Amino acid sequence: MTDSLWGQVERLLPGVERPARYIDAEWGAIRKPECDYRAVLLYPDTYEVGMANQALTILYERLNSIDGVAAERAFVPWVDMADAMRAAGVPLWGLESFEPVRTADMFGITLPYELTHSNILEALDLAGIPLRATERTNEHPLVIGGGPATFNPEPIAPFFDALLIGEGEEAVTEIVAAHRQARDAGSTREGILRALAQVLGVYVPSLYETSQGAGGRIVVTEAGEGVSATVEKRVVPDIGTYPTPECPVVPFMDVVHDRATTEVLRGCTRGCRFCQAGMIYRPVRERTADDVVRDALASLRCTGHNEISLSSLSTTDHSQIEEILRRLANRLDGTATTVSLPSLRADALSVDMARIVARGRSRGLTLAPEAGSQRLRDVINKNVTEEDLISTVEHASDAGWHRVKLYFMIGLPTETDDDIRGIGSLVGKVVAAMRERVSPDRRGSVRVSVSVATLVPKSHTPFQWEPQLPLAEVERKQVVLRESMPRKGVELSWHDSDVSFLEGLFARGGRELADVIENAWHSGARFDAWGERFDLGRWRDAFAAAGIDPDEQAAQCLQPGEQLPWSHISCGVSEKYLLDERDKATAAETTPDCSFEACTGCDACQDLDVDIVLGGERRGSR
Amino acid sequence: MAAGEFRLRICYGKKDRLRFLSHLEVSRALERTARRADIPYAVTKGFTPRLKAAFGPALPVGTAGEREYWDIWMSRYIPAEEILGRFEQATPQGLEPVDAAYVSEGLPSLSAACTIGVYEVVIEGERLTAEQVQDALDGVVADGEIKVERKGKTKVFDLASSLPKEVQARSYGQEIRVSFTIRMGPQGSLRPETLVYVALDSAELSGAITCITRTDTLIEEEGGMRRPL
Repeated sequence: MTDSLWGQVERLLPGVERPARYIDAEWGAIRKPECDYRAVLLYPDTYEVGMANQALTILYERLNSIDGVAAERAFVPWVDMADAMRAAGVPLWGLESFEPVRTADMFGITLPYELTHSNILEALDLAGIPLRATERTNEHPLVIGGGPATFNPEPIAPFFDALLIGEGEEAVTEIVAAHRQARDAGSTREGILRALAQVLGVYVPSLYETSQGAGGRIVVTEAGEGVSATVEKRVVPDIGTYPTPECPVVPFMDVVHDRATTEVLRGCTRGCRFCQAGMIYRPVRERTADDVVRDALASLRCTGHNEISLSSLSTTDHSQIEEILRRLANRLDGTATTVSLPSLRADALSVDMARIVARGRSRGLTLAPEAGSQRLRDVINKNVTEEDLISTVEHASDAGWHRVKLYFMIGLPTETDDDIRGIGSLVGKVVAAMRERVSPDRRGSVRVSVSVATLVPKSHTPFQWEPQLPLAEVERKQVVLRESMPRKGVELSWHDSDVSFLEGLFARGGRELADVIENAWHSGARFDAWGERFDLGRWRDAFAAAGIDPDEQAAQCLQPGEQLPWSHISCGVSEKYLLDERDKATAAETTPDCSFEACTGCDACQDLDVDIVLGGERRGSR
Repeated sequence: MAAGEFRLRICYGKKDRLRFLSHLEVSRALERTARRADIPYAVTKGFTPRLKAAFGPALPVGTAGEREYWDIWMSRYIPAEEILGRFEQATPQGLEPVDAAYVSEGLPSLSAACTIGVYEVVIEGERLTAEQVQDALDGVVADGEIKVERKGKTKVFDLASSLPKEVQARSYGQEIRVSFTIRMGPQGSLRPETLVYVALDSAELSGAITCITRTDTLIEEEGGMRRPL
């Protein structure tokens, strides 16, 4: 152990933006200086973005609950601080101890999504840890990743010693136990990695053989001796076993989602065919109403937050959501505390719930019809009809909402220009329906924000084989959409299509992209998820230097049956199910939600030996 | 004041690492402390009720404070000492409460009443002496005014008005500590570090500020200055 870095860091703080990112000392931070195993958990973005991450909060609590184990947090220093650290020779440190990350036993890194890949290299470099796993020895921490982007880990795999696929509550304990045991027995680096590979859900990239597959993508061909050929995701059978952390760290800074959070359920089986989260977090597991209310109140008490978010992929689907909202509203009356719901379905029930939590405050409502025509909504299995949407906004207008935000996507399979124009006409009907319902003197205040993203085909979804829309075609479709969009009362915005393009390349690429990531980082790529820092030109140069044509790779239609870069990673959903869903998409046939109706045969429950867990019977529109 | 509300004034410190917090970050942290402390805080009326509180003059990012103030309204009377005890249990290290007492509802707000800040600035520099620093500062003060550029705007501070007491520099081992009493105005106040750097520059001295602390925040009245508590 070296001397604490605080003194050196302190000297840099007067010269950087927002020093509160770097000072630690928050309420709820856990310090365990006398531990023989030290883990640093990194979110690969700034403090204010990373502190909103629930996985980090959960794993921080889980690891710190183990005897002899200290878990700390780390984030990627903003450009000004990183430059100052390099100039002063200050390495990346763990927030709680101000000890270098380099001296920790484990460096755990969340992979939230593809645009943070360059920041992982930035963090490793700032920590003074060799970028590639093959260059590391037992003098370095074990670099282990986790999170949603591990479901296609290949582009980033060479930078990791190991990756955990799936949920971490139970797996982290086993990983630390296996690592400690191997470390204390004096194992070699390879011996440690082999021990870790025995933990269910752990993928050690260096133990697999690879070769070039179709379309130039590198695929895994063979597992090393004693290593499982397929890595199956970890899943917690009942999330009620692990209450939501009661006393998470309370940031001083104004962070993204600055509030307490209670996870009310995990998984969503609505089955939208573009949605990776809907496939990789199966099956649906609810907490009971009693547990949710208990956790929410405990967390508010311990943190002092004035807002509690009931988080999940589809909170209003919870079988006891109305009971939960009523009980929380009663208990929080007079405390100036609000309850928030992350997203709403386009149905009347959801509006009623939004009304309970809004209590007369006029926050906007957000709804996601995703496509402009019924045919295309059936293709993507978004079970929302035009009637649903119109009656929902009417209901919302009656309840006092004048602002609605609508999410749409372009670049969906089978999409025609008529489908694109359908977005414009649907938005027109929404605006008209809302104007109709509000009093004449307030018609001018009706606002519909329309946010349009480009489809990024993701692994483990029925659209994983689909080509990505070429950038020129995205631009053409945007023109069609703009021309069809009503002007009055509508605010139209786009996701940056360059960003989606790169996201798609990493979502479906193989290990050949590791060189691209490294090239781009060497030429200055960091904080790519921040609009002002993103530079597609820099990434194009990085692709060119690696001899890969990104436009060609993005436009590839992958073939069912051929080995894909992520074929050795299983989320439990079978390829057969994905292919059936793909066929049904082409035929514009829908699939129901198994948490409302009968099993639809995705095989996740059978493969993973788990079951749907509900607090009661689900009801609502389906 | 709504009937049945009680205005409690709390004196607190902003110390050590937490000196790097902004005023907004401090006020939010204190409100959260109140919520954790399980005290009967009052809430504002209106569409978005909030915890009812008001804060004294802002401290810049990087400046520590030894006696800062905020007022929080209670919906029920609980002895101030008891609230102080609950606060101590719920406060992150570095923002600890120093003192608390109920004050009259009729008093003006802290931000309007507190017009005097007493600062201590620590300077380090090779072969720099307190006498040199004192002479340099006296030279600037003798000029009568100081121009400050901030965010593209130029402000002129009249030093006779901004500095109601004499500036004093003293040696403490390797450090030189300078104390300033600064009158804060509604259009912004002179920052002690500005004065220090202007003085060092004009005397061609080299030195760096290592720490700035507002040691006291005072109310100016006829015949003198007093603490808000």
